[in-house]
Amino acid sequence: MSATAGRDVLRPPANGFKAWLTACLMAYVPLGFRVLRTIRPILRFGNTIVVTRYDDVREVFLNDAAFRVPYKDKLDIIMGGHPFFLSMDETPEYRRDTAAMRLVVRPADITERLAGEVERRAEHIVANAKGHLEIVDSLVRRVTFEVLGAYFGIPDPPGEDLRVWATRLFEFQFADPGSDPALRREVDTIAPALRAHINGLIEKRRASGSFSDDVLGRCLAMHAQGVPGFSDDQIRSALMGFIVGGPPQPPMVVPQALEQLLRRPEALAGAQRAARADSNELLACYIFEAMRFDPLAPALPRTATRDSTIAAGTRRAAAVPRGATVYVAFSSAMMDQRRLPDPHLFNPRRLPHEYIHFGYGLHTCFGIHMNQALLPLMLKPLLKRPGLRRAPGRSGYLSKRGAFADRLHVEYE
Amino acid sequence: MRQTTLSVALEVEPVSVDRLSALIDSVKCQEEDPASGYAEKYGRLQAGVPVLHFMSMSVFPSADYDPVFVIEANFDGPPGVFWGQMEATLGPQLRAMLRCCKKPANRDGPLFVAVTSPDSRYPVAPYFAARSLRPSAFHHGNRGLDRGRILDEGRLFLATRKALAQPDPAAPNPYRLMPAARIHTELRAALKSAFPWLEQPASVRISLAERIGDWLRVAGFLFLVLVGLSIPGMIVAFISPWPRFLVLFGIAAVLIYLGLYRMRAPLAGKGAPTRSGGLTIESLSFQNDLTSLAHPVTLTIGVLLFLGIYGVVASVIATWLGIAVTGYWFDKLWWPSFRVVALGLLSGVFFTLPAIVLWLRWLELRDSSQDAPPLNPELLREMARREDRIAQNHMGSLVLVKPGVLRMALFRAGHLGLGLIVRATATEERHAQNVRLDFIEKAHGGLTLAWGSGIGFPPTRFLVLDGASHGRQFKAWARHSMTVTRFWFSAYKDYTVDQIERHARIADGLRKPTLTPKEAAEWARDL
Repeated sequence: MSATAGRDVLRPPANGFKAWLTACLMAYVPLGFRVLRTIRPILRFGNTIVVTRYDDVREVFLNDAAFRVPYKDKLDIIMGGHPFFLSMDETPEYRRDTAAMRLVVRPADITERLAGEVERRAEHIVANAKGHLEIVDSLVRRVTFEVLGAYFGIPDPPGEDLRVWATRLFEFQFADPGSDPALRREVDTIAPALRAHINGLIEKRRASGSFSDDVLGRCLAMHAQGVPGFSDDQIRSALMGFIVGGPPQPPMVVPQALEQLLRRPEALAGAQRAARADSNELLACYIFEAMRFDPLAPALPRTATRDSTIAAGTRRAAAVPRGATVYVAFSSAMMDQRRLPDPHLFNPRRLPHEYIHFGYGLHTCFGIHMNQALLPLMLKPLLKRPGLRRAPGRSGYLSKRGAFADRLHVEYE
Repeated sequence: MRQTTLSVALEVEPVSVDRLSALIDSVKCQEEDPASGYAEKYGRLQAGVPVLHFMSMSVFPSADYDPVFVIEANFDGPPGVFWGQMEATLGPQLRAMLRCCKKPANRDGPLFVAVTSPDSRYPVAPYFAARSLRPSAFHHGNRGLDRGRILDEGRLFLATRKALAQPDPAAPNPYRLMPAARIHTELRAALKSAFPWLEQPASVRISLAERIGDWLRVAGFLFLVLVGLSIPGMIVAFISPWPRFLVLFGIAAVLIYLGLYRMRAPLAGKGAPTRSGGLTIESLSFQNDLTSLAHPVTLTIGVLLFLGIYGVVASVIATWLGIAVTGYWFDKLWWPSFRVVALGLLSGVFFTLPAIVLWLRWLELRDSSQDAPPLNPELLREMARREDRIAQNHMGSLVLVKPGVLRMALFRAGHLGLGLIVRATATEERHAQNVRLDFIEKAHGGLTLAWGSGIGFPPTRFLVLDGASHGRQFKAWARHSMTVTRFWFSAYKDYTVDQIERHARIADGLRKPTLTPKEAAEWARDL
């Protein structure tokens, strides 16, 4: 029996007036942030605060001691109560666990192993699609899960689809502010099943005596050497964290970036020139600039651990009571003309500090370097194709299902 | 693109002055370190702050006040973007420098505390933005050229040198035999692929809106000055019939002119040989273009037109004020208002202004000057060691302004007005026959005008005469007020203002697909 209600990676779309209203409001979020940045940069209603300016977003992200990530409760459900560094404060355990994972998720893997593989698989898909391709699922999600699944050493569970499990758990953890009971029911089935799946993989590998050179194999080798941070529980939690937090994201942001490029013929032409010239660095500039116009999410939540003040000493200074939820609108920060020159202009030559795609401070995305290198490569083979254009009709425009990119069809020669 | 010039002046904790100097020196060392990972010195700042043209950091010590940390910067675009880039590039260093400074007593105090408290992660950019001052007078040598364009056009210039170089010493240079228009065509064809931007029109350096804004600011400033000068006359004009007014002010003006005549001579032994102090009216000539303000007729018409407009606008304002106060309507108040404004203007020009000059001259005759300012040989050596290394030098000087209401008003208003006029009259055409005020940089009259209100300055006469004309004394005084520029960044250290203009002219010519023989001959001169 399947652990999920359906085989579709994304849950059925919400219907009704509430869903329609939410979709409409989401479309006006950038405009709303623009207004807020000018007239009310730090908005407070009840115990909820929204910060919209670049300086304040950066301040909150960097001040982990005062503004903690609120992921622990849901992460405990997913991990079965075992800690994962995503929800930790800056503690010795946090430092130990992140340092341990850096021993097995190595920077050299990006160039030596992952980049070529991503490009090769993307090229294969694009070449076999015969000039008509769906981007979200058929290209990006497929490449991401195939490459990263193999890299982490986590194949599909028998009879199940890892893409579905990971995406459901990701939605529960990061994109379910209303705590949907239906989703919770699915999570209550998926999470233990995924834990059991990884436990089984650990036992199987250990029994075989062959560790293989993937993240799981390296973890087991470290465990065998007695390196701290590599108990079975720690290995399982880290791998689950990587699978849940990592692969579901590229299918959200990469199609969104392509949609932004398709809206700007000059930028698309520039990205295509970079792809054809094999200039990965310049291509990355185009992709991350495109992502700036539609990033992963409008804002990320933080919880105030103590009474504090945001933007202290300025006219917009706002007191934050302990326990308040602070929404850090990093999408708004990347459009703040106080710190970014001409933020509404597509400029692939922007400086690194003008992007906050991967957060700041303690909880900067663990896979930041991997994402910076791999996300552009997922589109590179497609961008090399001449005549790249939207498919006719509505399918040629990116559709979304809640926080997730759903479909985008393109054509090429 | 609009350029911004700003200064940040921060008081330093006396005990931290050595640490601050060391921090600035350490930034300089890091930027000049060949092992920094950048291809050239200051590569990190070049890449991290792409809007920056120039930046200096100095610490001014003084016996009269606690040390002052001064950052001066010249960059493209708004200050917020600049400070954001500075934070991303030098954030930790800037925070450490701020920790050597005093907490300001004004409303910036809490921000200072937020930025400098231990383990603070609050961005430093807002604090620097809050403490930034826009100088009342400044001049951009290459206004309207952004940094990227200056560097691109510099590279283009070098490419033209390479293309024009003689390929074979034994053979004649083919370009020497060509007419200018052909040189243009050949060069353009040779350089187009390496400089694809030659196919695009250059952005407008100073837009019409910017020019109009410049002149409107000058007009506004002069309007306020005239109102200020007219106030005494306008007050008397309210209560005095106009014939009596003219007689009274005429007598007063004559007395003032007599006073000025009596005080015109320089102090004994202090007169400078150049009577004009560098400010001549030679630039006014009937030979100049009739559209230029340097043509006497155009200038006269311009002045009269401005005074006419002033009279009408001031009268309208005065009439509306009168309506608000008295309740009478326009037809009753217009002519009385116009009479008051006109008499006020007359008195302002012929009485108040000379009276102020007389007052100033009276003060000048009693000013003390510092004939032999103490010079620290070690400091002088340190300054000299850092000067003349590149095509540009930075010079920072901090002086105390002479006390008194008149001095302060003249100093503030004078610098503001001078800045506005320089900005409005300086054009990108360096050779234009215009009322140009480059004397600020080049002539002693301008130096006297800019610095004459400083305590200890060599004796001045009528604000612009003598003063800096005493070359040796002036230099000693200026050196005395200067300090070592501990950090100096230039984005294009090998170029002078004139050379940049030359690059721009060559690039402008090469952007055009064809030139007429006359245009080409003019253009080829720069090659």
